[in-house]
Amino acid sequence: MSSAGRKTVLGALLRDPMGAFGLALVVLFVAMALFAPWIAPADPIKLNVTQKFQPPSLDHLAGTDQLGRDLLSRIIFGARTALSIAVTSVGMAGLAGLILGMIAGFGPRWLDAILVLVFDSLSSLPMIMFALAVITVVGPGTGTLILVVVLVSVPAYARLIRAQTLALAGADFIVAERAMGASGTRILLRHMLPNVVGPLVILLSMDIPVVIMLEAGLSYLNLGVRPPTPSWGNILYDGYTSLRSAPYMVLVAGLPLVLSTLGFTFLGEGLRDALDPRLKGRGHR
Amino acid sequence: MTPLLSIAGICVDLQSGGWLSPGGGARVNILSDISLDLAGGETLGLVGESGSGKTTLARAVLGLQPTSAGTIRFKGADLCGPADFHAIRRSTALMFQDAAASLSPRMTVGQAVIEPFAIHHESVADRRAKAAELLAEVGLPPEMAARFPHELSGGQARRVGVARALALKPALVIADEPTAGLDVSVQAEILNLMADLKDRHGLSYLIITHNLALVRHVADRIAVLYLGRLVETGPTRQIFAAPRHPYTRSLIAAEPKPDPRRRRRDLAIKGEIPSILRRPQGCEFHTRCPVAKDICRSAAPALQALGPGHSVRCHFPETHDKGG
Repeated sequence: MSSAGRKTVLGALLRDPMGAFGLALVVLFVAMALFAPWIAPADPIKLNVTQKFQPPSLDHLAGTDQLGRDLLSRIIFGARTALSIAVTSVGMAGLAGLILGMIAGFGPRWLDAILVLVFDSLSSLPMIMFALAVITVVGPGTGTLILVVVLVSVPAYARLIRAQTLALAGADFIVAERAMGASGTRILLRHMLPNVVGPLVILLSMDIPVVIMLEAGLSYLNLGVRPPTPSWGNILYDGYTSLRSAPYMVLVAGLPLVLSTLGFTFLGEGLRDALDPRLKGRGHR
Repeated sequence: MTPLLSIAGICVDLQSGGWLSPGGGARVNILSDISLDLAGGETLGLVGESGSGKTTLARAVLGLQPTSAGTIRFKGADLCGPADFHAIRRSTALMFQDAAASLSPRMTVGQAVIEPFAIHHESVADRRAKAAELLAEVGLPPEMAARFPHELSGGQARRVGVARALALKPALVIADEPTAGLDVSVQAEILNLMADLKDRHGLSYLIITHNLALVRHVADRIAVLYLGRLVETGPTRQIFAAPRHPYTRSLIAAEPKPDPRRRRRDLAIKGEIPSILRRPQGCEFHTRCPVAKDICRSAAPALQALGPGHSVRCHFPETHDKGG
């Protein structure tokens, strides 16, 4: 796509209030994650038992937890944990889905049949159940989380890409490429790829909050990120156990979870509207 | 002299439906025993109704459609493996019926016309200049190179298709309905352009169309397809002056005439082309033939030669009738 095309997608996204709001939230969380060591007011894992259960104040803007750690810093570093897991796993799953989907859609029929069977078997497993099973076998941790997310989400991405590829395979411009003598690799990379990634990007952006939630959920159950690494799920759990003495903890950990979910979902929906060819040209023609 | 392209006994069969669908798994004969020669510098018009297999034949020539029997020879060499088809794709260009759809939607016109060089790893010193040169050859301004396919008119897209077809200086251009969906004036422009380029580059054309007026003007020879079978082939002038197959006669008679009273209603073809899934017994055309007799329902006629380069597949090739 030309730079002009990119500009109009961004323009359409910014013109849509929900999309702009989503983008702003996402940029905020990404900035938090990237620059966590510089913007966090304190060390997120430094204990200070004399300062435990401090309600929000000027010293600790979001208060402290049962071990006296600064909650705002833990939230900021929690963004880093949540986003790095979500982006890594969704990115890896997206890439694997893209490659497998294009192979299934463009390759020989027997390979397609095998891949579709694998996708269907994998996607018939409920995510949480599957996650628990894998954690039981491999043990909890960041790597396990990423593995679960990749295994569970690859089928959806691969199926989307496969359908797009199949639809394109009979298109005149693809037949024209073949008639000109183009190799399969060239057709896949230069002509299929740019035309199938759009919908995948939207789906990936909408799946990031799902993974953030899964990470928080598993960490809440003590099956995800190992303490003392800050995670929104850990903080939520700590808040839950001390709900009576420090009710603000649950709120402080829940808020970024809600906002990041909203942000990525709005961004995904905004992107979908901005990239949808049927809506293209709306408002600037 | 060996013909540029020589097709002998080509058959194409397809599997109908999946093996679970009713009547599925049956082999359907799309093209049967097609033999054609095309000499260098010659224009061959391939005529037939929708579903007669014209486009399938073009795709089979380029190896885009697997054949179940027969041989294709290009410049005297048999095409049998992927490497051979790669070679014929290098020196043959296919122009699509829907020119705009045959251009990659996210590539500019400039990139599209240069694409053949990239595919065949042929270096171009100055891509921009080469694109402009190719566009100029089809009468398009160089600014057009920055456009995307969806920004082109039908005639412009067609010209871009011609420009891309010419990029590698092909020996043969296969044009699928080169004038379909264009205004009459634009049709004429495209045909004149194709004729100019033929003279300039010594091209051969295989023109696929249902438009008789078109082949009458541009083709040296005509081949008429009906339900995947060659029913008549011969020099254009001869076929139009004295069509021998009743189907050819009906097609010619159905052509609009300046004087409507001269139109032959007795030769009008009745009904629709039969489904290829249920081929009629005997002669395929007997269900619609104005002169069919008993033998036509039981025995399929063979292709018989009537004169130099003129052959017909009919039990009763008419000789006396001058075809309207």
